Amino acid sequence: MRETRFRTAVRTLLAAMAALGVLLLGIAPAASAATLAEGESGSGETYTIATDTTFAPFEFRDSSGNLTGIDIDIMEAIAEDQGFEVEWQSLGFNAALQAVQSGQADGVIAGMGITDERAEIFDFSEPYFTGTLTLATTEANAEEIAGWEDLGGKTLAVKTGSLSEEEAKAQQEEYGFEITSLDQTTTMVESVKSGSADALMDDYPIIAYGVEQGSGLVTIGEEIPTGDYGFAVNKGQNAELLQKFDAGLAELQESGEYDEIVGTYLGGEDDGVDKSSFWGLIVTALPALLSGLGNTLLVTGISFALAMILGLAFGFMKIASNPVLRGIAVTFISIFRGTPILVWAFFFYFGLPQLIGTPVNIWVAGVMTLTFNGAAYIAEIVRGAVQSVDPGQAEASRSLGLGHGKTMQRVVLPQAFKMMTPSLINQLVIMLKDSSLLLAIGFAELLYQAQQIYAANFRVTEVLLIAALLYFIAITALTQLANYVDRKVNK
Amino acid sequence: MSASAPETPETPGPGNDGGPVTSGTPGTSPGTGRTIGETVVVDVQDLKKSFGDNHVLTGITGQIRERQVVCVIGPSGSGKSTFLRCLNRLEEISGGTVRIGDYDLTDPKVDINKVRRHIGMVFQQFNLFPHMTVAENIMLAPVELGNLSKAEARQRAEELLDRVGLADKADARPASLSGGQKQRVAIARALAMSPQIMLFDEATSALDPEMVGEVLQVIRDLAEEGMTMVLVTHEMGFAREVADRVLFMDGGKIVEAGTPSEIFDNPQQPRLQEFLSKVL
Repeated sequence: MRETRFRTAVRTLLAAMAALGVLLLGIAPAASAATLAEGESGSGETYTIATDTTFAPFEFRDSSGNLTGIDIDIMEAIAEDQGFEVEWQSLGFNAALQAVQSGQADGVIAGMGITDERAEIFDFSEPYFTGTLTLATTEANAEEIAGWEDLGGKTLAVKTGSLSEEEAKAQQEEYGFEITSLDQTTTMVESVKSGSADALMDDYPIIAYGVEQGSGLVTIGEEIPTGDYGFAVNKGQNAELLQKFDAGLAELQESGEYDEIVGTYLGGEDDGVDKSSFWGLIVTALPALLSGLGNTLLVTGISFALAMILGLAFGFMKIASNPVLRGIAVTFISIFRGTPILVWAFFFYFGLPQLIGTPVNIWVAGVMTLTFNGAAYIAEIVRGAVQSVDPGQAEASRSLGLGHGKTMQRVVLPQAFKMMTPSLINQLVIMLKDSSLLLAIGFAELLYQAQQIYAANFRVTEVLLIAALLYFIAITALTQLANYVDRKVNK
Repeated sequence: MSASAPETPETPGPGNDGGPVTSGTPGTSPGTGRTIGETVVVDVQDLKKSFGDNHVLTGITGQIRERQVVCVIGPSGSGKSTFLRCLNRLEEISGGTVRIGDYDLTDPKVDINKVRRHIGMVFQQFNLFPHMTVAENIMLAPVELGNLSKAEARQRAEELLDRVGLADKADARPASLSGGQKQRVAIARALAMSPQIMLFDEATSALDPEMVGEVLQVIRDLAEEGMTMVLVTHEMGFAREVADRVLFMDGGKIVEAGTPSEIFDNPQQPRLQEFLSKVL
């Protein structure tokens, strides 16, 4: 009986490992194909293009969760015209730039203004869009703030590191306002709506699109031309891709397809869903959120299975008599318990590729991050449980002539597993929640999808509420399942 | 047990650092009428055990022969349990030698797991495996050590349970048993590998008084079947009844040894006299 249960547990873990193996196998050909593609020229080539996550109308997720927007459509149209394939990496603006610099992506199109500073690091295409900045505020504020001259003593929200920040700094002295720099348009909109900033300045297309989506803001004052948006590649690399972009862009502008694409997003076409109601929001957001939930569950499942294996190994090493094994376990546990998960997510996805010279798949980076962190905690759970089994149990087993290994396997571990089950379930729930941190590297899990959605429609609270509800349902179901298994196995 | 100095095996005498020297000759035991065998099952020479600076056993010498039943009595902390646990090396031995049959326990080349198969041990706290049924507890060693198939081990478990009067409990969980029943299962488990010798470490001390009798009866039956046994016990009446020899330990050594009547009716050492005056 015991033997069967023990083997079942081991088999489950192995199956999970096999699943990861299959996953890795799936990744390997893709990776080698990408490497080959770089060497080839001509049609059928695939380029990895990095973009922002949330820069509507340039890039955002449509109601079925697909990446869409002006940048996306232009790039796809150029690819079709020039005969190459595009593999999108939706990362966030700064991460997209880093991805190109570290060789994770071939080019970046992200509503990116062409500046001298950036031109030192990147090679830009011909401009494909001319940007303008606009001020915006709430309808209520609009009664007293109508333009720059009304901003004296007020707080203006701008986007960190963007042209809006530069422009605001240039105007600050003349009009005497405070600047608060924020990372995302969503945050800027929220801070104006909540009153912590009085107005914001951002790219006109974004604000105009948001107004249309029911953001509750109005644009004020005159638009300020800011310069041109360009597609970029790493300086001195991928010149061929750049040429194709320029050639394709010229074709699109000539054929009128360019105007069609831009008109689709700035012309205010209706897609037939009443987005303003909460029910309408659920209908539009749910497909993308559910796909995010799927990824959340998958990455947590794989990571937890691997973390169990590693955690068991390190847990035993920590109570081993060999000081070297003990030292290794203590070092591993203290490193991964003593550092934030986010640091490791960035390290495995952005740092590691620069060390080993090849890109790291985002699933691999995500699984490594969660696995190592989880393993450190599981190792402590294992150690505690094994040490809490009555020493008389091991003595009785040893007195029968069973060796240390058999005693562990047949007598101590089954009892330890029973004791550690509640802590392991707890760890699984923590890991599922921690997986949301992987959004920082652009892993398309549940919270990331939620961010994508509210970044396009600025309905932060409602979307987060739906995401939280999905987390809650998933975790409750998982806990119930785990408790059921616990009751079955640990009768 | 015949706690004996090798050079003067026949001379009874008072305690010294090596423990008292008493006889343990083969033949009919004066205490129980049992026939003690020629074969020496346990041979202990100058056994010492320390935990750091705490010298728990300060030199114990003696022999146990086939079919002999030896009871070890003495006050708490006298080292009785430690002595017993050294006999299957649950405690590492600090000095001296312990031989069980042909095996020298202090020889690092000896596979202690092999030796332990020949030594059954019963603990004060039973130490049954709570995650296994009664039968699985008994089957564990024979199956894991490759002696018996599962079916054979099951049959052996049922025979042993019948022997300790628990034939109907084979598929029960230890948690559902009374203390006395648990200890009888523990005895059956210790017998599963057909040991040459059984060690009982205060086997009745954790039991409610009304359950002591059933466990003692099982031990009494074993004695009558000729099992070689060492019992650390507080049951003086039982020791007097069942033992061929009684050892009185105090301060980490054997202070006095003899037949039950010598120990209980005619104690020589003041420490034994004082101990008996308190417990009898």
